[in-house]
Amino acid sequence: MSRNLLDQDFGSEEEDDDFNPAPAEDSDNDDVDRGEVGHHGRGEGYTENEGGGDDAGGEEEGEEDQEDEDDRGEDDEDGEDEDEDDEDAVSGRSRKRRRRGPGVHNFIEVEAGVDEDEDEGEDEEEELEFGGELHPDDADALPVGAEMDDRRHRQLDRQRELEASMDAEKQAQLLKERYGRNRAAASDAVIVPKRLLLPSVDDPSIWGVRCKAGKEREVVFAIQKRIEERPLGSRNPIKIISAFERGGAMSGYIYVEARRQADVMDALQDMSNVYPRTKMILVPVKEMPDLLRVQKSEELNPGGWVRIKRGKYQGDLAQIEEVETNGLAVTVRLVPRLDYGLNEDSGAPLADPKRKRTGANAAIARPPQRLFSEAEAKKKHSKYLSATSGLGGKLWSYLGENYAEGFLIKDMKVQHLITKNVKPRLEEVTMFARDSENGTSNLDLASLQETLKNSTAEESYLPGDPVEVFKGEQQGLIGRTSSTRGDIVTIVVTEGELAGQTIEAPVKTLRKRFREGDHVKVIGGSRYQDELGMVVQVRDDTVTLLSDMSMQEITVFSKDLRLSAETGVDGKLGMFDVHDLVQLDAATVACIVKVDRESLRVLDQNGSIRTILPTQVTNKITPRRDAVATDRNGAEIRHGDTVREVYGEQRNGLILHIHRSFLFLHNKAQAENAGIVVVRTTNVVTVSAKGGRPTGPDLSKMNPALMKNGAPGGMMGPPPSRNFGRDRLIGKTVMVRKGPFKGLVGIVKDTTDVQARVELHSKNKLVTIPKELLVVKDPVTGQTIDISRGRGGPRVPQGGSAAPPSGWQGGRTPMAAADSSRTPAWGGAISSRTPAWGGLGSRTPAWKADGSRTSNPYDGSRTAYGGAGSRTPAWNAGARTPYGGSGSGSSDFDAFAAGSRTPAWGGANAGGRTPAWSASSSTSNSKVYDAPTPGATYSAPTPGGYGGAPTPGLSAPTPGAWADSAPTPGAYNAPTPGGPPRRPYDAPTPAADFDGGSRPYDAPTPAMGGIAATPGAGPYDGDDGGPRYEEGTPSP
Amino acid sequence: MFFLKEETKVITLHPSYFGPNVREYLINRLNEEEEGRCTGDHFVICVMDMVDIGEGRVLPSNGQAEYTIKYRAIIWKPFRGETVDAIVTSVKPTGIFTLAGPLSVFIARKNIPSDIKWEPNTVPPQYTNHADQVFEKGTSLRLKILGVKPDVAAINAIGTIKEDYLGAL
Repeated sequence: MSRNLLDQDFGSEEEDDDFNPAPAEDSDNDDVDRGEVGHHGRGEGYTENEGGGDDAGGEEEGEEDQEDEDDRGEDDEDGEDEDEDDEDAVSGRSRKRRRRGPGVHNFIEVEAGVDEDEDEGEDEEEELEFGGELHPDDADALPVGAEMDDRRHRQLDRQRELEASMDAEKQAQLLKERYGRNRAAASDAVIVPKRLLLPSVDDPSIWGVRCKAGKEREVVFAIQKRIEERPLGSRNPIKIISAFERGGAMSGYIYVEARRQADVMDALQDMSNVYPRTKMILVPVKEMPDLLRVQKSEELNPGGWVRIKRGKYQGDLAQIEEVETNGLAVTVRLVPRLDYGLNEDSGAPLADPKRKRTGANAAIARPPQRLFSEAEAKKKHSKYLSATSGLGGKLWSYLGENYAEGFLIKDMKVQHLITKNVKPRLEEVTMFARDSENGTSNLDLASLQETLKNSTAEESYLPGDPVEVFKGEQQGLIGRTSSTRGDIVTIVVTEGELAGQTIEAPVKTLRKRFREGDHVKVIGGSRYQDELGMVVQVRDDTVTLLSDMSMQEITVFSKDLRLSAETGVDGKLGMFDVHDLVQLDAATVACIVKVDRESLRVLDQNGSIRTILPTQVTNKITPRRDAVATDRNGAEIRHGDTVREVYGEQRNGLILHIHRSFLFLHNKAQAENAGIVVVRTTNVVTVSAKGGRPTGPDLSKMNPALMKNGAPGGMMGPPPSRNFGRDRLIGKTVMVRKGPFKGLVGIVKDTTDVQARVELHSKNKLVTIPKELLVVKDPVTGQTIDISRGRGGPRVPQGGSAAPPSGWQGGRTPMAAADSSRTPAWGGAISSRTPAWGGLGSRTPAWKADGSRTSNPYDGSRTAYGGAGSRTPAWNAGARTPYGGSGSGSSDFDAFAAGSRTPAWGGANAGGRTPAWSASSSTSNSKVYDAPTPGATYSAPTPGGYGGAPTPGLSAPTPGAWADSAPTPGAYNAPTPGGPPRRPYDAPTPAADFDGGSRPYDAPTPAMGGIAATPGAGPYDGDDGGPRYEEGTPSP
Repeated sequence: MFFLKEETKVITLHPSYFGPNVREYLINRLNEEEEGRCTGDHFVICVMDMVDIGEGRVLPSNGQAEYTIKYRAIIWKPFRGETVDAIVTSVKPTGIFTLAGPLSVFIARKNIPSDIKWEPNTVPPQYTNHADQVFEKGTSLRLKILGVKPDVAAINAIGTIKEDYLGAL
């Protein structure tokens, strides 16, 4: 009884199509091998006959039979309640059942035969086998040979039906009595509501019994055999009602229908391969219909995709080339896995490659998928290789297999293929793509789609998706999904007559509906996953969309699309997004132009495209929105600006990233590289700045119109100008004014803002000295040179930094700002002073000494000063005078320049001052004081400087200052006038100086003095002031 | 399609602007900021008039005044199906980029009649059917908007010229 299903010759089955009615289109099915053996109670004694009982003749039996048939038909329907809508199938089946029941007998219960597989064959076999066992009564009722003839069976059937219908009521009564059943077992099965046909607790139970996996069928046949041996009525009858198995998912179990568990035990006693003593499972009533549910086998079409279940190609994708008419064997196309004997043990016999292949190891250590290459095959296995040229090109036969176009062509049985949920991946499918002559692979989208459709597609329908029914009765309906349940989608119709109604439709008959212009996102199923775009074309259920990112047209199935509300968020791979800037290595950055599922395409700074893995990215560079670069013309360019290449293709684009000297631009009109272009900053010019529009005044800020006059901003004054570029001091010969190196001459080698490295002539040593302590000298003549003439010299800030009281500086600067003519004066201050210094080289130290002298402890030094000091006041005098002049106006100055100063100088030289100084050389402070205060100093400048209106005002404070700074030595008078407008400063400044020591003060002091002169020299340099001044300088 | 839309805008004013010219400042500001703006939904073409400037409210803590201005503006909202005239800004193998006023419209190859072919070898490159229809940079054409994709501060649209009465003007 047990037979190898595979060995059956299906071709010879005469009843093939009889048995297989046109398969119900919409039953979701699986083919499950199933054999069922029916056993029927015979005789009065055994009345619990259900689902396939038959009788052994006699009128009564006939009636019973009739009922049985009806029952069976009902069972049929029970089993397939999901096929309810398919009336064809049902009626066809019940008809058939009726036909078959009595004929083939009674012993054989072939369940709802939808199987296309082997079992039919088996059933057939059984039929044949049991055909001879026709009950004598039946045999009598039939003409000769009827057992082999279907028609006869039908005849008998009809006969019995006729009989039954005559006294149906009576019969029903009878049956009711007999069976006590509450079932509507009326003659017309079709009217019986199906739910009443479902098994109830009153029906026999079904037990699941363990058996040896794979031996289910054998066991069932063994049971059948045993029933034959011990029929009902015999001494020890087998009291089970039916037995069947469900292979597939339920392998390892057989199911036995019986009233009592003991019956099952009894029937299976001492049977091999079945273990009734182990736990028996009682199938719940509710699950009984499921147990008998029939699923239709997959329909295979050429071009569809399947997978190989086992063997060398286990799990490999295969394409169906051809399906044999019986639907059981197919020819598939595979990408071969061949090693061409390279890994073969040359000594080993090639005899049994089959056995080798069966091992699990073979599947693991199998060669990679590669198209067949006859060249490689020839290398080692040329003897196994032979070519036949067929119609469609050359056919190679190698090691017993056929290869065409590099593919392996193989005949396979359907049961060796996985046909459901194949889910071909694109990588796999592309291997099958035959290249057409234009280079584009002609993937058969239609077949791919067919296969994909068979995969579970329900998850791709979300509530709210617009859909269209394109197949079936409801074709053309348009609506929105409201819910999905399994394969059934509930749709609210939105258009047409049915608008507003809710209908249900299987997923297979649906497709999503898009309109041109819809913004959609690819949600899966293709390599374009997560791509966003706008639909440009809809053709059936393929949709062409224009990717937002690449501006390229993509064709996908509508089921892989979903309306997208999001904008901009295109493909993402982990943390990486298109247009991100990433660091590839220390020297290379790149912009992501495409994100695939596992890799990134990047455009690096050199303009080359690479495909990299996310792991190859060192890090992602967070965009710096404030990065600034300059374009070719030196204009500032920022993120978001539009620039254009100067040379080459003159590409333009919006700046996405600025990295060092590279710009990553985005140009929407460019399709390649997602519109990304990389250029150097030096090769671009600005087309337009971000925003582009000129904006008016910012109304949330200070009104600039109000700022113009006397606004606090004006008080700030311009920041001191700085020298850029190379410091002009470098290379100059300088002399140190102060400190341990005082008096030494050297060459400046290097400078910072405040310090200079000087190579001393004397010591051949580099020393670092504050710049302000240096005086530039002419290397030849030894004369002091002004290197910063006419510029906002470096001295200015130096002066500032040197003056300890910042108030000083602060006070002065605004002055300078307010009086434009004086600002340069500051710069020029040095120059004017410098000559003085130059002239009085020896005196410079004296000055310092003077400064130090101011404080009492330095009396001694002051004494020394005495000689040299004579001129200092003069200096002051001179300084002050021009200062005043410059402050009040050029005319004053002119006057001054013409003579007033000179005399002052002269006067100073002459001695007016000298006495003063000499006085100062006397130890008493007060005297010092007296002497300078006088007047020489003061009277002279005051008129000069304040000849104008301010004089009174100024003069007033001056004395005040004076009074305050009574201790201030005469030397300090100089500054005081320097800062006349800021009287408060006056007092503190000197005071501070006193406190802090005179030295720092020193520096400014001359500066002060200088200032005065400077204005004269600075602005009027051109005409007379400067030169004259210089002239004058040496003279003293 | 053009609409006359009433909108409100809040402008804050620094105290230094308080004075007789407040109104002027506000109007200038409004015009500057609004006209030509793209909201992602529509373009503001022109501010027609102020309905109400309202009273300024001084904000506590910084002394600035906040004015809520109601104004009417002509806006343009492109719709799917709308037919507009546009100027070609560039032609690429993938399609034609055009500008319909402020709106950039892309005409994909699929939406160009099949007899109009891409001619990369001409200077400048063009789409042409070798008859009356020639599309190169600067060509005026009439197109139908197929879809509109709003962005943060821009609108992108695709269009078609694959219908009657569409194409070069």
